[in-house]
Order: sequence, then structure tokens, then C-alpha cells
Amino acid sequence: MSLTDQSAFDIAHKIKRGELAAVDVLDAALERIAAVDGRPGALDYSPLTQEDQTKVHAFITLTADRARQQAERVDARVSAGEDAGALAGVPITIKDLFCLKGVPTTAASRILSNFVAPYTATAVKRLEDAGAVVLGKVNMDEFAYGSSNESSAFKPTTRNPWDLSRVPGGSSGGSAAAVASGQGCLSVGTDTGGSIRQPAAYCGVVGLKPTYGRISRYGVIAFASSLDCPGPLARNVRDAALMLSVMAGADTRDSTAVRLPVPDYLAGIDRGVKGMRIGLSKDYLQISYPDPDTGETIMEDLPAEIRNMTLCAAGTLAAEGAEIVENVPMPNSIYGIPAYFVISRVEASSNLHRFDGVKYGYRARASQGDLAELYRQTRAEGFGLEPKLRVLMGMYMSGGQLSLQYFQRALQARSMIRADFETAFDPDGPYRLDVLLTPTAPTPAFKMGDFYGDSTLMQYSDQLTVSANHAGVPALSIPGGLSAEGLPMGLQMIGPDFAEATLFRAGYAFEQATADADWRAVKPCVLAEVE
Amino acid sequence: MMNPLAVPDQHRNKDGLMADFEAVIGLETHIQLNTVTKIFCSCKADSWQDPPNTNICPVCAGLPGVLPVLNEAAVYKGALLAAAMHAEIRLVSYFDRKNYFYPDLPKGYQISQFDLALGDGGYLDVTMPGGFVRRVNITKLHLEEDAGKTKYEGGQRLVDFNRCGVPLVEMVTEPDLRSADEAAQYLIRLRQLLRWLGVSEADMEKGHLRCDANVSIRTAGSTYLNTKTEIKNVNSIEAVRAAINMEIERQVALVQAGGQVESWTLDWDETRQRLNKMRSKETEADYRYFREPDLLPLELTSEWRDAVIQNLPELPLERQLRFMTRFQLPEYDADILTADRPIADYYEAALTAYGGDPKILSNWIMNEVLRMQNELGLSADALTLTPEYLAEVIRLVDAGTINAATGKALLVKVQQSGQAPQAIVAAEGLSQVSDDSALQSVIDAVLAAHPQEVESYRGGKEGLFGWFMGQVMRQTRGQADPAKTRALLQKALQGKR
Amino acid sequence: MRDEISPEIFAKLADLAAFRFNPEEAEYLRMELNQQLKAIRQLETLALDVDVPLVPRGVTYTAESRPPLRPDVWVPFENPEEILNQAPEVEDGYLIVPDIPHRELD
Repeated sequence: MSLTDQSAFDIAHKIKRGELAAVDVLDAALERIAAVDGRPGALDYSPLTQEDQTKVHAFITLTADRARQQAERVDARVSAGEDAGALAGVPITIKDLFCLKGVPTTAASRILSNFVAPYTATAVKRLEDAGAVVLGKVNMDEFAYGSSNESSAFKPTTRNPWDLSRVPGGSSGGSAAAVASGQGCLSVGTDTGGSIRQPAAYCGVVGLKPTYGRISRYGVIAFASSLDCPGPLARNVRDAALMLSVMAGADTRDSTAVRLPVPDYLAGIDRGVKGMRIGLSKDYLQISYPDPDTGETIMEDLPAEIRNMTLCAAGTLAAEGAEIVENVPMPNSIYGIPAYFVISRVEASSNLHRFDGVKYGYRARASQGDLAELYRQTRAEGFGLEPKLRVLMGMYMSGGQLSLQYFQRALQARSMIRADFETAFDPDGPYRLDVLLTPTAPTPAFKMGDFYGDSTLMQYSDQLTVSANHAGVPALSIPGGLSAEGLPMGLQMIGPDFAEATLFRAGYAFEQATADADWRAVKPCVLAEVE
Repeated sequence: MMNPLAVPDQHRNKDGLMADFEAVIGLETHIQLNTVTKIFCSCKADSWQDPPNTNICPVCAGLPGVLPVLNEAAVYKGALLAAAMHAEIRLVSYFDRKNYFYPDLPKGYQISQFDLALGDGGYLDVTMPGGFVRRVNITKLHLEEDAGKTKYEGGQRLVDFNRCGVPLVEMVTEPDLRSADEAAQYLIRLRQLLRWLGVSEADMEKGHLRCDANVSIRTAGSTYLNTKTEIKNVNSIEAVRAAINMEIERQVALVQAGGQVESWTLDWDETRQRLNKMRSKETEADYRYFREPDLLPLELTSEWRDAVIQNLPELPLERQLRFMTRFQLPEYDADILTADRPIADYYEAALTAYGGDPKILSNWIMNEVLRMQNELGLSADALTLTPEYLAEVIRLVDAGTINAATGKALLVKVQQSGQAPQAIVAAEGLSQVSDDSALQSVIDAVLAAHPQEVESYRGGKEGLFGWFMGQVMRQTRGQADPAKTRALLQKALQGKR
Repeated sequence: MRDEISPEIFAKLADLAAFRFNPEEAEYLRMELNQQLKAIRQLETLALDVDVPLVPRGVTYTAESRPPLRPDVWVPFENPEEILNQAPEVEDGYLIVPDIPHRELD
């Protein structure tokens, strides 16, 4: 097995014990990148070639030299007998939504294509301080708006390592694809409506949306401030836990980062699920989507294989000693997407006001006119369609009486979704769940071009993940199996506030119980030619 | 031919208005708090002389990915002001985003407070010219962040973010004021209060206290509100007074001529002392306020709030009244002696040390100490001439040890040297000459030296008396006891007749 | 069912958002918005008077978990020049933009 396919946990351990050199791990990662990634996403790109369609295109900016300096520093510290950090020498990638000082941070948008942040995001700083080696910035949906990575202004957009004609999911598609294809062990992404979990499911990796406020948002370019959660992507549960323990914790620069102690997420991760109460909900075994003409909600059962994966997983956990609680009602989850449409757009539209060509980023070339002209031209040329849609919708819904009609109702929906979770997890309540088990996405990865352009339907692929964002609760997506077509399917575990340790425990138990399953031996197709 | 728009004087009432009309004025003030740092980041709040864009950080420059973190001192000072304005301090208040585009607003929104602000209600009682007290009610009192500055030069706008994020309290009055003088008086009292509390330097010329005035007129005695205009860019109390007066006259003349007041925004041109119309007030920009998601609700405990209220110092008007009732001082004196806290504290400390007539002390301070303060540019608490030293000097004068003139000069000596008055008197031999025989010999010498003047005086030129006094004073280095000298000199000038 | 966002409303929104669109783009966006609105209308089945506290976010903060306010201590940013370096146009330390539209009157 190439060094770059090993777990972060093992790599860090070996490096700290002097059994492995960080520069060797880096070299292995760079080799993998050269083999599978193809040309990085760029603003000015030539049309897609045959070759392009066989590559992953996870990266926007590769920081090889910088990474080498970091790896050398790690090795030097180990030689000197110093503590090189919990993630010593582990190669990681960063979604290009996080500011990294001295390196371009583009948010996959033209309007920031030339922006170099003068500061580093707290979450990233903590990873670097812990010895992680940053390979570079990976691609995403523009400003994190999307569920397929297709809206990026930097093309070619990322492709799914399991089937390169399919999307990797989004908006943290580059992160998930990189991890899945061995381009680094870990990646840090963001999840606002499912943007870590859904691509993790599509790419067959582990992704965690922590509790809102668990990880600092300072330095993360804001999408929807009350929903955004930075989080880890990894190839196994223990690595995700390790990464969370480094990133989590209060930050004096973020007023919404909770001041609660960070538990040792690795301790007890292997305690198993005996006695755990794991719930299933009918409301999460169906999908809904709006009738394109009337807008009325149409309910359908999930595709059989997704449903079966979920029920099978419940069975596996039951065999390990968990108590399965069926029919837990989550009646308000059906408002998840409509409420998300409203809240995320109102906040996003305000967050995008600052991109005006005055202080940083793209400025339209001098027009005849005045300042108003500058604003209009800069924003027209700098933003793609998705940001424009969000800004317009946000403006529409926050003005005057429409605010009452839509925004207030959306906030209400959020409160009611939260109440559903509180009831489900209430230790004195009727269900007393430790974990709610659901599928992560209604389908496996779809083909590129299938949904892009239909923003409504695209959004609905987040319907199983978005409720956790509204409620703020933590949710973990882990690989649950492969579809008949050989595509990854994701299993989601949702828990109460700050119960990430419980989620890791349940996820780890499932991993162990299915360690020898056939489907775990299958590799992403892009790796077939490698080695 | 008479200008048809001019209003004949005989039709004006005591405020100078057409007797049928009254003015209705509301003031919107922005108060810059004197915290060390900005409201949402750790840059300095005061960057008055700094080169442009040097007092900035990612947060106040509105870079992508930044977040606001609320300054505890801004909350304290805001609450203190709310308490002093008799407003209710809300235990839970919220910040909201006010969204609009302008180059001095880097985030494209201002973090402010919309409906559930820190302060609720409130008022300030202001003694108006004419002697009555008007209660000016407050309709808004909230915290917000300042924008940067722009200036126009060479066809372009130059933008400086140094001031972005400075903490402001916005305070809006009901339209309770009825004249430009009342508006000026409100601002004077507000400025005094802000300095009194120590929450703002309140220097209008430096933009610590900014004011927009809303002006309308209506038939005297009515209660409805007519269309108002908004006056901006008035940077001093006098400018406020002049601008409001001018606008009232304009509106009255307009209405008299059959016209209608439109809701214009007017810009005050200080150099030319006139009002210019800015672009007409379009439909109020839709700011699309919504709760600021990057900040938690501001939650204060009732203990904290009660402590703020408890710690309120005695306010200026209260102290002024106390000076009047307890010390029997006239309003004029009490007003001057409570102009700021240092001088009020100075007075009371001096009175305690002096133990004598409060009015005598008041005179000394009003005539001598205040002048000294002005000349030296010092606050009363920075004087080397401490209240205790002042008291000592006055007691020396009262006791006749030195005369008044010497006393006044002594104040300066104390301030310059820092030595105790008694010590200086002893060292320089400043004691008043009161000994009759000593005085007599000086007087005799002076008269002997100036026989012609004596002739003139006795011949009827009685004005020379003052000159003779001056001569005696000179010979005694100013230390002659004036009363005794006068009596003896009179006798001497008459006696030889 | 008539479109909720008419071309006029769309134009006003575009104006408010400091955008400018060509007719094709405008029409495409307007249609997408209206499609989204159909889905959003589902929210109307929620009665407004229900006694539910409108929380600004899902997670609850307690006195222990909420971070304290920031102490009033000056900490200068180490490199403000780097912030200025990101600006498209700078002169003598000022950011330069075209002048703001004025309506010259009287």
C-alpha cells in the first residue's frame, strides 16, 4: 500500500516514532497527485479533453514547495526529540473556502481569483500547528453554493474517483475526491446543508458535520453564518476523530464558537455499541421533491438499495448489541429544504455584499461610469450564476413584508425541526436515542450535467442532511456499501449537541463489524491504474 | 419693491417666527465612545492623526472570512449612557445587519441594533433659554459600528478605513424641540453629560459627536407632524443653530408663499453658511434588517445592570441643583461650577478645606481659577493649584495677612512653583502691610515726593487719588492693606489743608 | 399560476443587489427563482401564530458555553500593508474608487 493510502493515525504515529519520514509521505502524496489529478481547476481553461475526463481535478492550488518546508520541519522536530504534533507529517488538503496566509483563496469564484489572504483560518492554523502538511487548496462549488462541484468557476471541475463521469458531490467535492483518491489523508471542508456529508457519501469516505460552534469559523468565507460548520473528511472514523480533536475548541475570534472543553475523541472510540439506542425514522426513508409545475411536494420511497443499506446497517449494529428503535417521528424534516432555501439565501446574500471590487479581488476594468457602474460590472462579471441566484433570492425574501411571509416562517420551521431532534434525543423522553440512523443522500453520485441548471432539484439532494444544519446537531456520514452500479452509498448518524464522541463510537463499531465485507475491498476506479 | 417672501417683523413672535407657526425639531446624534479599541476588533478606537489605512485589521477591513467579537467596554459605556438618560437597559438585546452599498462600509452592511436595542426609551431634561425645563424624549438608543471615511479628490473618491468599526451610540430624540436655540441647548447638555460620564470626548469638531437635524413646521398649537427635511454635515453647535434657523425660515417662507415642504436632505455648507439640497430623499432604502448571525444575543444579568445604575455619578443637573440649594449659590454660579466633573469636584474639595462662605469661594474660582485653566489648557484636576492650596490662599486674604491683589498673584505663584501658599508668603515677605505707622511713613514719603500732584488734588483734581494709591502700593510692593491705606491717605491729603 | 417574481420585480432586485444582466441571463435567473419559490411556498402550511420561539440558530448557548465578551485591549494587526496590497487601486495609502453618483440640483 502506498504511504499516501495509509491512515492519518498510523502515519502520525510512525513519523513520531521515527519509523517514517514526513518528506517520504509527502513524496508519495505528490506522486499520487501527479498520477490521478490531471490539470488543476483554473479560470481560463481550455475545453475538456479526453485525458481530462480520466482525471479527478481535485486541486485549484498545489502548494508543493510550502508543503516540503512543512514536512522538513516535522522531520527536524522529530530528530530533535521534540513533540511534532498530533498530526505530524500527515498530508492534508483544504477546501478553497478557508483563508491560508500567503496562498490564493478563491472560493472557486472569479471574484476572488486573485485574492491572497493576509491571515490564516483558525481551524487550519490548528492543523498546521499540529504538524499537518498542507498539499494545497481543493476545488468546490462557487462560494459553497451547490451539491455537485459543477458550479465552480475553476475548470475542469472535480470528478468522482469512483466513476469519473459522475460528480463528486458538493460543495466540498474536491475535499471528498482528494481523500478518496489518496491525494492526502485528510481534508477540511464545510457543511452548510450537507456539503461535507453528501460528497463524503458520493465518494465513499467519512465526513463529519460537527455541532454548530464546535469548530471556529474564523477565516472561513461565509455562506450562511448560522448554518456553516467546518469539519473533517477522512478515510476512516478514527482519522476523522483525530482531526476533530485538533480543530475543535473555543476561539477568541469567533463569538459563536462554544467555550466547552474538547473531549478526547479517540478515547473509548472502540467501546462498541452495546446498549446504545439507535433510531430509525420513516421520515428519513422517503424522499420528497417539488412537482415542477405545481410546486406541491411529491413523496416517494427511497431507491431500494439505499433503503436496504440503511436497514442492513441497523441489523449489523443490532448484532453488535445496539437497541434499534423504529418509527421515530421527525415530522418537520419535510420543511428542511424550503426553510434552507430561505435562511441560507438571506444570510448568503448579505455575506456577498462585501464583494464589490473596492478592497480586494476582482475589479471590472475601468468603466466610463461612476461607483454604481463599478459595483454592477464587477459583480456581474465576477459572480457565477449560483451566487447571483442566491443573492437575488436572499434580497427578495428579506425585504419588507416578504420577510414575514418567508423568513419568519423559515425560522419557525428551524425551531420545529430542532424540537423534533430534542424529543428524539431527550434522555427522559419517549425515544431516548443516542443516535438517529439515516441514509446520507437519496441516491448515489449522479452523472455530470444531470442536474446542473435546475437549482431546485439540485438542492433537494440535500434533504436528508439539511435538518442537522437547522438543528445544529452533529452528523457523521460513513461508507455504508456500494450500489448495484458499484457506487458508494453513505450512512448517516445524527446525535445530540456535542455528542461527536458517540457518533464516532457507533461509526467505528460499524466499520469494525463490516471490515471484511466484500464491498470494502473495492477501490475507486481512478486508482485501478495506479501502482 | 418688497420681497413677497420676506416676513415683516411685526408679524414675528418671540422666536422670530411668523406667529402662526411653530418649529418641530428632532435630533439624531451619533456618539463616538472613548473605548481603547473598536467595537468588534482589537484595533484602536482613536486614530485621529494616523496615516490612512494603517489602523486596520482583517475584521474591520471586511475581509472574507472574518467575524465580529463584541468589546465589553463598549457595552459598559453604552449601558452607562442609557442609565444616565433614564432609559431602560434591556437585559437581552440583539445586533442586526443593516445592508447597503457604500465604499466606506467594507462589509456592505453595518452591524447595528434595530428593534431590540440596548436602551429602551429615556429622556433628558434640559433647561432652555427662557428658564423653563423641556423634557426631550429619546426614541432610540443603540450600539453600532462606525463606517470609514471618504473624501473627494481629483474626480475620485479616496477611502480610509481607519475609523471603521469605532463604537458608536446612536441616540434619536422625539421631535420635542421647538427652536434652533433649544436644539443647541440640548447638544450642549448632551456634550456635557457625555464628558461627565466619561463615555466620550464629545468633541464635535473631531466627529466624536455628530448630529443630523430633522426640521418641520406646523401651525402653532397643533399636534400633527408635517413633512420634514433632514440637515446633515453640521459639525459644531453654532452650525446646528445657524442651519436650523435658516431652514425654519425657508420652510415658513415657502409655506407662506403657498408652497409645500418636500422631504429633502440638506447639506450644510460651513464656508458659505448656507444649505444645499442633496439628492432628494428617495424611497427609504430597504436595509433588510435581520439578526446578526455572527453574534450571540447580548445577555446582561440584572446584578450587572443594577451595578451600572448604582455607579452612576451624580448627574450635572442634579449637582447643579444641589449647589444651589445646599450652598445657596445663584444658578449662574452653579451652572458654571458644574460645567464638568473636575471643576465641580474641585469646588467641593476647596469648600471643605476652606470652610467659609461658598459664594466667596465661587467668586474666586469663577474669576481666577477658570481663567487660569483656560490659559493653561488644563482640566481642574490637573492644576498644581490644588483645592486645598486655593482654600489656604483665600483664608490668608480673609484674615488680612495678604491683600486681594497679592492673593491673586499668589495663585499663579502656587501653580507655577507647586509650593504651599504659606511658604511662598513667608519666603517672599508678601504679608500685607497693615501697620499704621509703617503705612503712614510711606504715605508721608509719597506726598513729600510729589508736591505738585498734592497741589492739584487739593485744587480739586480728585481723580488723582487713585494715582496716589498706586504710588503707595508701588512703594510697598503691592502689599499695603488697601482699606487702611485709603483711610490714612485720605486724611493725609486732606489733613494738610 | 402566475410567476411570483415578475420582470419588474426582478429588475428591482437586480438593482438592489448591484447587478446587471443581459436579457437572456435575466430571464433564466427569473425562471429559476420562480421555480424555487414554488418549493418554498410549502412553508406556508406553517401557521404563523404558533407559540414557537424563533431561535437565531439551532444550538442553545448557556452561561458556561457562551464565549465571554472581548476585553478592551489594543492588539495591532501585524501587517496592515498586506491588506492594502489586496486592493485593486491604492494611492498614498488610500483606496481609490470612482466618485459616487450625485444628482446635482439647484
